[in-house]
Amino acid sequence: MPQTTIYVSPRSLGAPERRPPSVSTTDLARLFAGSPALAGVSLRVDAARTVALLGSNGAGKTTLLRVLSTAIRPSYGTASVDGLDLGRDADLVRARVAYLSHATGLYDDLTARENLAFAAAMYRTPDPAARIDRAIADVGLVDRAGDRVGELSAGMRKRLALGRILLGQPSLVLLDEPYASLDADGMAVVDQLLTAWREAGVSVLIASHATDRLAPFLDGRVVLERGLVSAVSGQGVASQPPSLPDAAPATGMLS
Amino acid sequence: MSDLRGEARVALAIARKDALAELRGRHATVSTLFFSAVVLLLFGFALGPDSARLAAAAPGLLWLAVVFAGMLAVSRLHLLETDDGALEQLALYPITRRAIYAGKALAGLAVMVVLGLLVLAAVGILFAVDIGGAWPPLVATVLLGAIGIAAVGTFYAGVTVRLRAREVMLPLLMLPVLAPLLLGAVKATAAALAGDPFGELGAWLQLLVAFDVIMVVAGAATYGYLLED
Repeated sequence: MPQTTIYVSPRSLGAPERRPPSVSTTDLARLFAGSPALAGVSLRVDAARTVALLGSNGAGKTTLLRVLSTAIRPSYGTASVDGLDLGRDADLVRARVAYLSHATGLYDDLTARENLAFAAAMYRTPDPAARIDRAIADVGLVDRAGDRVGELSAGMRKRLALGRILLGQPSLVLLDEPYASLDADGMAVVDQLLTAWREAGVSVLIASHATDRLAPFLDGRVVLERGLVSAVSGQGVASQPPSLPDAAPATGMLS
Repeated sequence: MSDLRGEARVALAIARKDALAELRGRHATVSTLFFSAVVLLLFGFALGPDSARLAAAAPGLLWLAVVFAGMLAVSRLHLLETDDGALEQLALYPITRRAIYAGKALAGLAVMVVLGLLVLAAVGILFAVDIGGAWPPLVATVLLGAIGIAAVGTFYAGVTVRLRAREVMLPLLMLPVLAPLLLGAVKATAAALAGDPFGELGAWLQLLVAFDVIMVVAGAATYGYLLED
C-alpha cells in the first residue's frame, strides 16, 4: 500500500497571487497534416490551481498538454508557462513542467529503480538515493523496485511514471488520463498526489474523463471542442475567443 | 564551467543507461559482432585462398565490416528510445540537446571501439595479416574511425529512428557522409600494416581527426532539432 503522505520536492514558488499565470496561451493552434488539433486556444490558468481539461475524444486535450510540455511546437499563436515563453525559453520551461502522457517513457530493460535513478540524474535531484526510495514507496512499488519494467503491468508502469515526477521540482504538472490502467490503490496514489501538489502550490492540468473522481480536487474546468475552448468554469481559469484574423490560419481551416 | 561539468554528467548518465540496457538486452553487441563475422567470412570466401590477395584486401574489408556493423549498432542503441515513448521523455528532461547527443554518441563509441578492436583481431587471424607489429597506429586508426562513425551514426539514427523505413534510410543517408572517413581509415590501416613506407600515415590520421571534429561539432549543434516535432 502507498504511504499516506507523499513527498513533493518544494520549488520556491511564492504566494500564488504574486506569481504569473501557470499557463497563458493566445490563439494557440497546432496542425497535423493540415488539420487543426488545436484551432486557436486562448486560455489562462492561474498559479496553484488544479484544472480539468474536459472534452470528447479528439477535442484537443492531449495536443494542448503536449504543446505545454514542449513535446511539440505550436503551429500558430503563443504560449507561456510561469511567464516563460514556450519557444524562446523552452529549456527553462522544461525545468518547471512535468508531463505524464499515455506513454510512460520508461526503459523496459532497466529495473524500476534504475529507471528512477536515470530520471534523477536527468533532473539532477539532490540526495538521489533517498529520494528514489521515497518515490518508490510513495507510489507503492517497494516490492517490485528490482524488477525490470518490461515485466511490470500497465498500472505499475503508470505508477512508476508518476514516481518519476516526484524526482523533479515542477511548478506545473500535466496529467493525461492519470487514472487510466490503475487499480483502486493506484487511483488512490493519484488522489494523494493531487492533494500533495495542491498543498505545495503546484498547478495541475488534467485531461481526464473521470470527472466524478476528480471533482473534489478541482478549482476549475475547461471544456474543449474541436480544438477550441467551448466553456470554462470555476476559479483561477479564464478563456477568450480566438482573436481573428490572427488565428485565421487555423480557424479558417475549421470553417 | 560548472554547466559543462553538469552536461558531462548528464551525457555519462545517458551513456551508462544505454550500456546497462545493452548489457541486459544485448541488442547491439550480439547482432553487430555476428554481422561483422559474417561479412568477413563471406568476403574471405569470395576472394579465395590466395593469402597475398587477402592481405591486400584486409584494410578495406576491416573497415567495410566496421562501418556496416557500426550502422547496426547506432541504430539499435536508438531503438532503445522507442520503448513506450522514451525518446519523447528524454527530450522533456531539463537537459541540453547536446548533452543528449553526447550521451548517445558516447554509448555508440563504446560499442564501436569494442567492435573495431575485435574485428581488427579477426582480420589478423582470418586474413593472415600481422597486426602485432603495427598495433599503436592501428589502434589509433580504429579509435578515430569509431569516433567518426559514432558521431555521424548518432545523428542519422536520430533522423531515422521515428521512420518506418529506418533500416533502409539509415545506410542511404549515412554511407555517403562516411565516404571520407572510410577512405582515410582504409588508407591509414594499409599504411600502418605496410610499415608506412611513404610516410603518409600521419596525413591520413589528420584527415580522420578533422572529420571527427567537424562531425562531432555539427552533430552536437543540430541533433536537438531532431527531437522537436
